[in-house]
Amino acid sequence: MNGRYSSGLRRSTRTLRWSAAAALVSVPVLVAGCGDDKPAATTTTLASASTAAAAGTTASTAAAAGTTATAAGGTTVTAATATVSADGVKTIEITLSDDGCEPRSIAATAGPTTFKITNDGSAAVTEFEVLSGTKILGEVENVIPGADRSFSLTLAAGSYTTKCPGGEKFEAGTLEVADAASGQAADKTARDAAVATYIAYVTSQADKLITVTDTFVAAVAKGDLDAARAQFAAARYPYEAIEPIAESFGDLDPAIDAREGDVAADTWGGFHRLEKAMWVDNSLTGMGTVADGLAANVKKLRTQIGTLTLEPAQIANGAVELLNEVSTSKITGEEDRYSHTDLSDFAGNLAGAKAAFEALKPLIATREASLVTDLEARFAAVQAALDAYKGTDPVFNGYKSFTDLTTADTRALSTVVDALAEPLSRVAALVLV
Amino acid sequence: MALLSRRRLLVAGATTAASAAVVSGGYTLGHSERARAAETSGAEAFWGRHQAGITTAQQDRLHFAAFDLTTTDVDAVRTLLRKWTAAAATMTAGQMVGPAQTSDLAPPTDTGEADGLDPAHLTITFGFGASLFGNNGTDRFGLASRRPAPLIDMPAFAGDEIDPAVSDGDLCVQACSNDPLVAYHAVRNLARIARGTAQLRWSQQGFGRTSSTTPDQVTPRNLMGFKDGTNNLADTQAAHDAHLWVGRDDDPAWMADGSYLVVRRIRIHIEVWDRSSLADQEATVGRLKASGAPIGSRNEHDSIDLAAKGADGELLIPARAHARVANQIGNDIHILRRGYSFTDGIDEQTGQLDAGLFFLAYQRDPRTQFVPLQAQLATHDALNEYIQHVSSAMFAIPPGAAEGSYIGATLFG
Repeated sequence: MNGRYSSGLRRSTRTLRWSAAAALVSVPVLVAGCGDDKPAATTTTLASASTAAAAGTTASTAAAAGTTATAAGGTTVTAATATVSADGVKTIEITLSDDGCEPRSIAATAGPTTFKITNDGSAAVTEFEVLSGTKILGEVENVIPGADRSFSLTLAAGSYTTKCPGGEKFEAGTLEVADAASGQAADKTARDAAVATYIAYVTSQADKLITVTDTFVAAVAKGDLDAARAQFAAARYPYEAIEPIAESFGDLDPAIDAREGDVAADTWGGFHRLEKAMWVDNSLTGMGTVADGLAANVKKLRTQIGTLTLEPAQIANGAVELLNEVSTSKITGEEDRYSHTDLSDFAGNLAGAKAAFEALKPLIATREASLVTDLEARFAAVQAALDAYKGTDPVFNGYKSFTDLTTADTRALSTVVDALAEPLSRVAALVLV
Repeated sequence: MALLSRRRLLVAGATTAASAAVVSGGYTLGHSERARAAETSGAEAFWGRHQAGITTAQQDRLHFAAFDLTTTDVDAVRTLLRKWTAAAATMTAGQMVGPAQTSDLAPPTDTGEADGLDPAHLTITFGFGASLFGNNGTDRFGLASRRPAPLIDMPAFAGDEIDPAVSDGDLCVQACSNDPLVAYHAVRNLARIARGTAQLRWSQQGFGRTSSTTPDQVTPRNLMGFKDGTNNLADTQAAHDAHLWVGRDDDPAWMADGSYLVVRRIRIHIEVWDRSSLADQEATVGRLKASGAPIGSRNEHDSIDLAAKGADGELLIPARAHARVANQIGNDIHILRRGYSFTDGIDEQTGQLDAGLFFLAYQRDPRTQFVPLQAQLATHDALNEYIQHVSSAMFAIPPGAAEGSYIGATLFG
């Protein structure tokens, strides 16, 4: 736990983070490339920088297939479906006129989509927007008569509206996005498999956590300071590997992993309370209750994991969070400020992030194979950088004391972690649909 | 440069800003070059009931400095304040620190780097830290009994990682201008004048204001890329009297028409923020990144609907979103924010950007304003995931001075 923040905050933030990831699944559009007065090329670049889904795509110029139907109330509407280019990017063509924008009813399937807007000679209608509720997801403005411009979105299933302000007859329309078609059935299997793989990993780590924590707690109960110190980092390792999961369960993370000042002094328990007893107080007197509470809480964690459901995007975000933990509290030596066992925690965080990546790898490979290669190399680089600080003292669980690192050392570690976390942060959007 | 009256300047500023505000969108603010020049150049009045640099339309650049007194002679402190006041009056008017050079053999009186520059709305604001009124049990200047009750020792907030070396101070100087060299010149020359009486304790430069102190100013963006300070203290006399200025009946009397300044250097974990998804960023802030509108609304200044829920039944603005937490507190607590972005090279330990928000906020009584507000934010604000308060200070900002007097005269006589 990164103890700069209070427990209430920490809980909420982590819950938020995970629920935000969950929201992504239901929020139809992840990335909107929009620019007020920017040329279309810039717009496309903005979108692709975030998703890669529409990167460098030249929109297909095939005309949208349009059909005409009569809706209830006798209004004629035009329905259109998107055309799909060879590289899988769908293009929807929109025409602006004084009447408004057409087609007014659009059906599409989830995935990267380019909207190509052509102005058919209207001076009054020069804008086109795609909205989810009141939020503008993407838009173009100043499409002058005779010109065409485009923008790209990665659409998820859902209902949207379109709008072209100033249209005399119809300035609003609908955009219905269905789940990616049956061709994606195989992908569904792959997604389920990725989630199952990761949950199996989390479960195994939670089981391991119970075992090693029990050993640690037994040493504390006996008042055996040396034995307890030697078990501390080892007991934390599996926890650090699955910390975002614990953080998603509200109170459990602060109960297990709060640092001094995170919570009110009289409620402070868990690993770091015991750490202070061992390394600052040099006494385990009175720590029996704290140790028992820790043992009970890790078992509670294991129970809750039994009911865990996840989406691939959440797993990806969890991996990034683990590296953020490394970045903000392990590399700075803040996490284990009394025992200086931060590098073992670092190794645990890294192992957890790697496991998440391994589970998602088949999904990433079908979407952007080169990213898999890149991330593998970057994971290896971080592991190699960390392994340069291997040690033999059991207190540090296979690594050296954090105090053995110079500023140059921590900076080198930080640099490779950032180099991994940045591309890793793209994975969630990639595996969303 | 002739001193225009403050009122005239404010009116002129409002006109240009209002015309500029009509144009929006894009990176440029759409100002015509002429309007931009009118806005960035000119002088602010120095003398007055209140010190300048508080309700003044916020300038783009900051140089802030905290000083420790090296003297134990209260007369020396008084003399320093007289000299500082005189120098500030001339510098804010766009003049070099006098008197004019009389001998080639003496160092120039003014350091010279701002020679020929427009003051660009330079303001210089002075304040007194708690340590001026007694330090570790020693009352160096016999001022202990005159310490204002609102000038408390800042309490520790959850998550604080305060570095004392860049916190607090006996005196402070806030120099703001639209020209960074002008602001720098002010602090440099004041530090020079102080040598032998006070020494620089720490200083901070800020680029890019992160708030608007008048409604005509376009809401700027902070380093997180979000519009910041949309709901600043209203620019009305009533709001200023209620929440900003120490009242004539408030205690102590020497602070009447003054204010209290809270300073927090807030580091932003830029790299971590940059790898957070847009949805996560917006959920953390509670506003849309592009428009600045509250989630669920369309425009920046739309009122926040804290009860609004999405199709999934979840709150549109999450429970711990910054905008929600700040808004809930903001219904009761109003402060005048006057912050700046900063970037100070890189963190040696991590190689990451040492950048963030240099938070400056003026108020009538920190005990009932900043302190309870920050207590809430420190424990509930989702933004804390990405930020860290690393320095802290509070200063009593005495009232302004009439021409011929000096800043601090109400305390030092």
